[in-house]
Amino acid sequence: MSAHRTASLGRVDRAATVNFTFDGKAYRGHAGDSLASALLANGVMLFGRSFKYHRPRGLLGAGAEEPNALISVDRGGGRYTPNLRATAIEIYEGLNARSQNRWPSLQTDFGAINDRLGMFFPAGFYNKTFMWPRSFWEKLYEPAIRGMAGLGDAPTDADPDVYDATYAHCDVLIVGAGPAGIDAALAASASKKKVFLLDEQDELGGGSLADPALWPWLAESLKDLAKLPNVTLLPRTTAFGYYHDNFIGAVERLTEHLAEPGHGAREKLWRIRAGEVVLAQGAIERPLVFEGNDVPGVILASAARTFLHRFGVAVGSNVALMTVHDSGWRDLFAMARAGLGVAAIVDLRDTVDEALLAEARELGLRVELGIAVIGVAGRHAVKAIEIARADGSGRQKIVCDALLMAGGWTPSVHLWSHSLGKLAWSEEWGAYLPDVPNENVRCVGACGGKWDFGSGLNIGALPTPRDPAKINAFVDFQNDVTAKDIALAVREGMKSVEHIKRYTTNGMATDQGKTSNLNALQLASSALDRPVQQIGLTTFRPPYTPQTFGALAGHAKDALFQPTRKSPIDPWAEANGAVFELVAHWRRARYFPKAGEDMHSAVARECLAVRESVGIFDASTLGKIEVVGPDAAEFLNRMYTNPWKQLEPGRCRYGLLLREDGFITDDGVSARMAPDRFHLTTTTGGAARVLNMMEDYLQTEWPDLNVWLTSTTEQWAVIALQGPKARDVIAPLVEGIDLSSEAFPHMAVREGTICGVPTRLFRVSFTGELGFEINVPAAYGRHVWEQVWEAGQAHGITPYGTETMHVLRAEKGFIIVGQDTDGTVTPYDAGLDWAVGKKKPDFVGTRSLARPDIVASGRKQLVGLLTDDPNEVLIEGAQIVADPKQAIPMTMIGHVTSSYWSATLGRSIAMALVQGGFEKMGETLYIPSADKTHVAKVVKPMFYDAEGSRLNG
Amino acid sequence: MADIVTRSAPVPAEAAEFAGVSISLGAPLARWSLRARDAKALAKAVGHKLPARIGTTEGGMACLGPDEWLLRLPEGSIIPMGEGLPLSVVDIAERAITLVLEGPRAIEVLQSGAPRDLSRMAVGEARRTIYETVEMVLIREGAERWSVDVWRSFAPYLREALVTAASHLR
Repeated sequence: MSAHRTASLGRVDRAATVNFTFDGKAYRGHAGDSLASALLANGVMLFGRSFKYHRPRGLLGAGAEEPNALISVDRGGGRYTPNLRATAIEIYEGLNARSQNRWPSLQTDFGAINDRLGMFFPAGFYNKTFMWPRSFWEKLYEPAIRGMAGLGDAPTDADPDVYDATYAHCDVLIVGAGPAGIDAALAASASKKKVFLLDEQDELGGGSLADPALWPWLAESLKDLAKLPNVTLLPRTTAFGYYHDNFIGAVERLTEHLAEPGHGAREKLWRIRAGEVVLAQGAIERPLVFEGNDVPGVILASAARTFLHRFGVAVGSNVALMTVHDSGWRDLFAMARAGLGVAAIVDLRDTVDEALLAEARELGLRVELGIAVIGVAGRHAVKAIEIARADGSGRQKIVCDALLMAGGWTPSVHLWSHSLGKLAWSEEWGAYLPDVPNENVRCVGACGGKWDFGSGLNIGALPTPRDPAKINAFVDFQNDVTAKDIALAVREGMKSVEHIKRYTTNGMATDQGKTSNLNALQLASSALDRPVQQIGLTTFRPPYTPQTFGALAGHAKDALFQPTRKSPIDPWAEANGAVFELVAHWRRARYFPKAGEDMHSAVARECLAVRESVGIFDASTLGKIEVVGPDAAEFLNRMYTNPWKQLEPGRCRYGLLLREDGFITDDGVSARMAPDRFHLTTTTGGAARVLNMMEDYLQTEWPDLNVWLTSTTEQWAVIALQGPKARDVIAPLVEGIDLSSEAFPHMAVREGTICGVPTRLFRVSFTGELGFEINVPAAYGRHVWEQVWEAGQAHGITPYGTETMHVLRAEKGFIIVGQDTDGTVTPYDAGLDWAVGKKKPDFVGTRSLARPDIVASGRKQLVGLLTDDPNEVLIEGAQIVADPKQAIPMTMIGHVTSSYWSATLGRSIAMALVQGGFEKMGETLYIPSADKTHVAKVVKPMFYDAEGSRLNG
Repeated sequence: MADIVTRSAPVPAEAAEFAGVSISLGAPLARWSLRARDAKALAKAVGHKLPARIGTTEGGMACLGPDEWLLRLPEGSIIPMGEGLPLSVVDIAERAITLVLEGPRAIEVLQSGAPRDLSRMAVGEARRTIYETVEMVLIREGAERWSVDVWRSFAPYLREALVTAASHLR
């Protein structure tokens, strides 16, 4: 056990013990530990198995950049999260963590056979090998590869947690609470600005948490900030994306670190609009690329320092350093001074700063210059390293139990790039630095290239005397991409980093290349013999680190997923046993079954009730638009196909609305309430669309018209009362309106009161029966419905739903836009020639109605179908053929649009769109289905009371 | 007959109470949507002053757009409908209901789903905006009192969302 807890270093609370398990085994850590530090403290070096080759892997980093140590946490009760980074998990009492991508266990993983066969799995292997036969991909290759390749298992249970969300606004948003971010916050707060300071870690401080010399400053600064009312501190909050106009998405983790989840929201989504954004995300140390760089125990120097000085855990007792950068020396000195045993400092550079050498001498450290590590002994932990020069000279073994790597620093420009800020290559950093901003944003500290880490070499891979094509020197640890994969990609013709990325998978997935992008660029640069700047940089995309779907959904879960709109009469329908259906966002009563009834028998009963006595129907969801102004009639005349100018106040008209292309888009009955006021109705689903379309024309085509549109859909509750007894039911309830047929004919509207409530009473019918549509202010809809219901008892009043409404209108051949039309049906196709004003000079769609293909013969036209067997009900959507004996595939000449059992007629009825249908009256057509071929005759789509005598009763 | 007419509302009449905020159903109101090119002519026709700047209110009249006003008056009020004039007066009394949020933390509850910076809304300001996907007219009636006009069928969703947000206050 080489990794161990030191006696006194770090910020963890040694008085507070925390018990947890990893892969079922019990461990102890301390409050303040990450899962990574707690396991290291217990001597655990092996954290996971690699994605492709199942190689044993330990920790590479200590923070969000960690690519190897991916962990599943199961909190029970459906609270299961895969692919968490061990370095970002705070331990709590009872934490149950599991490693991933191994079977049967982390120590013994059968998938590791892939590593032995690694030479057969180069980059692009899957694409090339599993191409043929094509049909095998979906069923065999992909599931097998997915099973082996690996991240954690996806959760299978419903997420029991709830999530909070908010918008927020601030003058200055600072991302990252390291020294640079804290200084920026202190500076901004002095000006009384509203300041947000967020950091992904549980403790604010960033890099200073690993530098005890800065702790007094940190404590003082945080105390100052906490006192300021204009500063909001948000620890455990990850800014995951940077969007237009300084809009930042961030997720605050509220209960992930608590032993008892489920009290309150798990996470909170912050949608922040900031005046200025200050990015202080710091920089991530680069690994070095050499054979054996992925053996557990090979770790970034900065990470080792964090484990020692923040968590009090030494990654080994005798560590070596492989470095090409000054910062590695400094990190090692900070550890050596705290008592860490050091085997050697190995630096590829022939000369280094004399001050570094002097300090090494003072500390008594062995130094090897101009030489590099060429191999690591050990499979599950480091036992020794081998060093040599590129020419093979100076080859020797150094015994050690951990190897630190220091390859220089990559500023974290992820959010900067989300904001479309430009980057510029810095030879000094060997990395891209923020250049020209695209938003009001600036970078401070290391992420802006303003931090002194010292100097170093920019290098793709360490030189080695071994054949580079035969060694595994890893570039992207998470995706198992090696230096030779990059070389192969270049050999196979990939020249842009975008192609190399996709060919090798370098920098993909949750990791987004945090530790690998720059090394891959350097390797590609060497292989192509072109400067790095000419190879490009892949685009960083949100999220910066993986986020839960729950957090992104915020409030929009379960009942709050989306609004379900209900009419004022909906509670009555629910109390009276209605079965509901969703129409657009509305919940509508579909039918009202009595005990023992199925839909078929309920609908048959409801239909007969309407035809024989009276039915009551909630039509409140119909779209309504109040069109007001001196030019109201002119406006409607231009919108609808039929003439409106001559319509007298008090009368109604059926309006047919086309799109510019001449196809039907909506319809509805509208009334002229006054010379300058119309009450329009639209279909339930079309209400918003029609209002938008009308506003569009009004504002862009005819801004000169003095007319205004107001949605009144929700102002009115609408009670449809249909059937021969309708007038008898409402007669005693209505005041101020003469209900007689002479005074109040079909397609008229009157104003008065019903049950003491002001009403716009329409005499209209969508059933073919005598009917009224009672419009009352929505708050009184329920009241009037119940009064009418009471009054109707003597007449056998029956509530009916949308299904019965559909049957009754089909018996009369009335179309439903969107069911009998599909966006390709003209008024002529639908047999609605009568609704087109032939003398009108213009209306929306008029020119399209003269297009050659619209007036051509053979268009699909709306007809009725009557099956030879009256008991057969056709399936809606079924295809129609002229000759059922033709070879398959048959020529289909149309389809069934509406089909019902008509209780009124004692037989089935159907409507259909059929090529040249109007010329096929009386002909027999065929509707093949799974079990038999149905036979039907083409008829006019008017099955009941063709002369309309019942309407005018 | 009018005395036995009963109103119904899409949300419970009882207030939802939380530490720092209550969410309740506002009293019924008369409401009109007013539109015209000529604000002076409209003001004359309806007999009410029209605030000129979008977002401001005066005597129950809120300016929502360049040619659009919302007039909210006590239930039972009536105004001239401007017959024959180049303007539009439409009764929308029952199109919406009012939710009233009151308390020092009301602003946080509304801000949870409203993208607008509510801290910058002055007392007396009225804005048509959204809460998540639902449209609302938000009026700051006092430093800690907000009135939300929301279309009737969206009211249960909005109330539930606001109550949920209030329950998450820490």
